[in-house]
Parts: sequence; C-alpha cells; structure tokens
Amino acid sequence: MKHHILVVDDDPEIRETIVELLRDRGYEALGASDGVEALSALRSRSPWCLILLDLMMPNMDGWQMRKEQLADPAICTIPVVVVSATTDVPQVARSLHAVDFVTKPTRLTQLLETVERYCPA
Amino acid sequence: MASERNPSQADTTLQLVIDSIRDYAIFRLDPDGRVASWNLGAQLIKGYTADEIIGKPFTQFYAPEDVAAGRPRRLLDHARAYGRVEDEGWRVRKDGTRFWADVIISAIRDRSGALVGYAKVTRDLTERRAQEEARLLEAARFRAIVDSTRDYAIFMLDPGGYVTTWNLGAERAKGYHAGEIIGRHFSVFYPEEQVSRGYCERELENALRDGRFEDEGFRVRKDGSQFWANVVITPLYDSDGKHMGFSKITRDLTERRKWEADRLQLVQANEAVRLRDEFLSIASHELRTPLMALQLQLDLALEQTKTTDPKSASKLERASRNATRLSELITALLDVGRISSGAMTLNPVTTDLGALVHEVVDRLAEAAAAAKCDVTVTVDPGIIGVWDPMRVGQVVSNLLVNAFKYAAGTAVEVLVLRKGEGVEMRVRDHGPGIAQGDRERIFSRFERASARSLGGLGLGLYVAHQIVTAHGGSIHVDAAAGGGAVFVVDLPLTARTVEAA
Repeated sequence: MKHHILVVDDDPEIRETIVELLRDRGYEALGASDGVEALSALRSRSPWCLILLDLMMPNMDGWQMRKEQLADPAICTIPVVVVSATTDVPQVARSLHAVDFVTKPTRLTQLLETVERYCPA
Repeated sequence: MASERNPSQADTTLQLVIDSIRDYAIFRLDPDGRVASWNLGAQLIKGYTADEIIGKPFTQFYAPEDVAAGRPRRLLDHARAYGRVEDEGWRVRKDGTRFWADVIISAIRDRSGALVGYAKVTRDLTERRAQEEARLLEAARFRAIVDSTRDYAIFMLDPGGYVTTWNLGAERAKGYHAGEIIGRHFSVFYPEEQVSRGYCERELENALRDGRFEDEGFRVRKDGSQFWANVVITPLYDSDGKHMGFSKITRDLTERRKWEADRLQLVQANEAVRLRDEFLSIASHELRTPLMALQLQLDLALEQTKTTDPKSASKLERASRNATRLSELITALLDVGRISSGAMTLNPVTTDLGALVHEVVDRLAEAAAAAKCDVTVTVDPGIIGVWDPMRVGQVVSNLLVNAFKYAAGTAVEVLVLRKGEGVEMRVRDHGPGIAQGDRERIFSRFERASARSLGGLGLGLYVAHQIVTAHGGSIHVDAAAGGGAVFVVDLPLTARTVEAA
C-alpha cells in the first residue's frame, strides 16, 4: 500500500514540483494551497503518512492549520515536517511540535531523505 | 497775632500741643545738656517718664560707643555754633533696646543772644529704616540673581529701545560685554531683514499694548552667528504709572531645537531600519520560494539525465550549483541586514558542539567533494555548552565554505577542543594562507582576501565574526605551520548575549 503524503504550500510551482517528484518515488501525494484545503483533505480519507507544511499562506496559515489539526483527534497524530523559508525554522518547528523541518530552498536529496525517514518506501 | 497780644496764653497753648504729640519726642535741654522738659512722644519713644529723666544728662540716650566717641557733645557744639544740627543714628531706650532715630537739635537763645538751652526733636525711624533696608536688600538680591543668571539674557531697554542694563546671561547668549552694548539700540540683536521690516518697533508696540510680548525666532550674536531664541518683552512702569522702558528676557533655545531635531531624526532612522528589516525579510522569503522550485526541478532533471545524457547532466549540475550559491547569498544578505541593525537574536540552547560540527560537515559533504577538499574532524568528547546551534553551525559552515573556496584541492581539518573555561574551534586549510596585512580586514563587510574573482560577496567571514561576537567569543586567523590558514574561534561555554556590533 502506498504512503499518502499531503503537500501544503500556497506556491503552485513548489507544490506541484514536490507532488510530482513524490509521485515519481511511488508515494501517493496530494497538494493543498492553504490550511483550509489541507484540513479538509486530511479529514476526507485515512490514513496519512506525513504532512509537508509551509507556514506563510493566505486564508489559513501553517500555524493555525497545525493548531486545528492538533485539536482534532481524528487527524492529530499525523506527523508534520515544516518546510519554510523563514530563518528561524528550527525554533518554529519545535514550537509546532513538528517531527522535523526543511529549510527552503532545499536540495532534492535532502527533501527525499527527510520524507523517507517517516515514510519508508 | 494772638501770641503777641497774650504771650503767656499762646505759650500755654503751644506747650499743650507739644505735650500731646505722640510721634515726635520734643524736649528741651539746658545749656549743659541736661533734660529740662519732656513730652508724651518722648515718653513713648524713649520709655522714661518726665520725673525720671528731667535733670539727667541727655548723653544717656546715646549708645556707650557713641558717648565714648564724644558724639553727643559734638552735636551740641555744632548746634551752638551753627544754630542747628541734624543727625540720624541708633539711640538707646530706657530698657536698653535701641531704635533708629532722626534727630534735630536747635540752639535756643534769648534776645541778647545768650544760649539758654536746646530744643531737641527726635523721631523713631526704626520701622521705616527696616522697610527701607528690606527693600534695598530685596533689590540687591534681585540684582544679584539677575546679574548671575547665566542661562537667560535679562536686560532692560529704555522707552526708545536702547539697552540700559546687561547681565551675565546676556553676555553669554549674545557675546557683547556690558560696556560695548549699553546705550545701543536693541535692533542689533535682530537679523537684518527683520530690522528693515520694522519688526523691533512692532515688538515694543505690542508689548506696550498687551502688557507682554513673547516670540520665538532667530537672533544675532555679536559675531554675526544666529541662534534660536525665546524672547519675552514686558513694559516697566514706575510707581506713578510713568513708562520707564522694557525688560527683555531672552533664552537661547538652540540646544533644545537641536535636541528636538535629533529626536525626530532618530525616530525616522528607526523607522527606516524597521522598514528595511521588514523588506529584507519579505524579499528573502519571496526570493527563496521560486528558488526552491528551481532547485528541485534542476535536481530532478539532473537525476533523470545522469545516466542517459551525461553532457546535459554536467550543465544541469553547474546550474544547480549556482542556484545553491544564489540561495546562500540571499541568506547572507538577510543576516547582514539583521546584524547591522543589531537585530541578530540568539536562541541559546544546550548544544553538543561535536555533534553539531559533524552535522555541518556531513551537510557540506557534497560541496567538499566538489572542491576536492578532504575534511577531517577531531573533537574532544562531551563538549556541551549553551549556544545558538543554528548560528554556531553557520560559523562552522561559513569557515568551511571559505576553505573550499580559497584552498580547493587541499585537506581541511576541523578541531574542537576544551580550552580553559571555554571552547576553541579551529578550521585549518592548506591553501595559500592569508597575508599578515589582510588578517583583520577579512572580517569586515564586503572584504575578500584576494582579488581573484571567486564569487560570493565576501560576507561569510563577516557574518561568522558577528555571530561569534554576539556569543561573547572571538575569532581570528593565523598562518598555519607548514602553510595555509587557520581560523580560530573561541567561545565561552555559555553564550554571553552581546548586542551585535
């Protein structure tokens, strides 16, 4: 069974690139452009292996999305990797109880290694 | 006249008038200076009754020192010779207290001219003298205050606007000595264009009309320089209501004005820094986002062509490397922006320095391989301290990247060891080394050790220096024994948070 990964990013270039490369690696990847879309995607099916979460997004940002996710018992255990261009990603990741973080821009291998750590092929 | 028709009755009436006068002591002395008559005023002023004093020498009204100096005698001699003497001075009451007396002694002679005695009229001026003294003292004090006032120019003008007095504050503010300005028209304190517009005269007119005139504006010093002044002009009147002139109080507000300007400038500067930081933060975020997409696409394309099309793969690799460089520059720019505005905040946490160094070296494995640098790490076990791991990692990374750039193809050694109360970290390469004269300069902004075009803005060492300083540590570079450069970083075990320079 394929691992399901949700890619949450408001930038379509990044979102589609990551979704595409994850699909190439055999993952079932889905994109969401903001927190609202992300939450409804997470609630629409089960199980999810991982969420790659951007922080700065319109409508609902990463902080708010994570807060609502943690408040919902049905989806609160899905691990989150913060993917952000903010300089203080490590601290933010810690404060959001994320399992890991990736600083934008990232190299392909680093991104894939991180994903594989939580969703072994 | 009545007195001629009935002299004795007139004398009696006069005596009654004299007896009843309360405010003047009026009495007679015989030619030897003994008291011969006494009125009510004398009793009230001096305290003796007629019985007690008649027949006694008048010298007992005088203070012992005056008697010793022969003053009573001299007064009588003078009155005898010139008919009359006037004196002012201390006299003594019966109870020993003193009063300030105004005294007139007149010689009394009969028709033949023979001296028959003296008339003495004494008035108690103690109270008036006290008031007078108080007023003089008050005036003197006020004068002293005005004269010694340094921060306010206080002076007077006559009704025509000519300077009549001058104090120290005026001298300081305007540069004139009293001697060179008294008598001159006050228009010399005004800029030419105001004088020609009749501004000075209007000030005086307004002061007269409204009882006061206040203004702020430029005034002129003796040397021609101008200062920003607060001026208050008040018309002065004497007790009869006659216009005497004006008082003028001028305060030099240059400092205050400068201070206000400085403060405004500071507010604007702070706002500019805030806007710049905000701009840098947004710009770097916005730049990194497309860079991320670019980098991933390049990596994907590289991966797919690696086996099938090695020629394209090497071009893609070059493109990818430049995308990485671009992202490093963006990071460095943001750091410099933050550092130069003092906004580099440390997040110190308990950190295993050895583990951190290994992590950074691992992360740079690819770059090391590209530079053909063999990196070895030697770490004293268990060096745990409180630092900002991201920042210290950045120092290690900047020093390594620097070595890869300038000492490509040589071995690079990283050494972490305990040293006294702190930690020493060394990054040593086997490249060309850094000339003695360049060893300090390379830590400043936009400096590079060599003119060779090797890319980068020369910000890496500057950022490393700022981070180390912010931790309370130091960084310097030496020539390594056997060639090459060795960068030495000293850190305290716990970051002493220091504002970035």
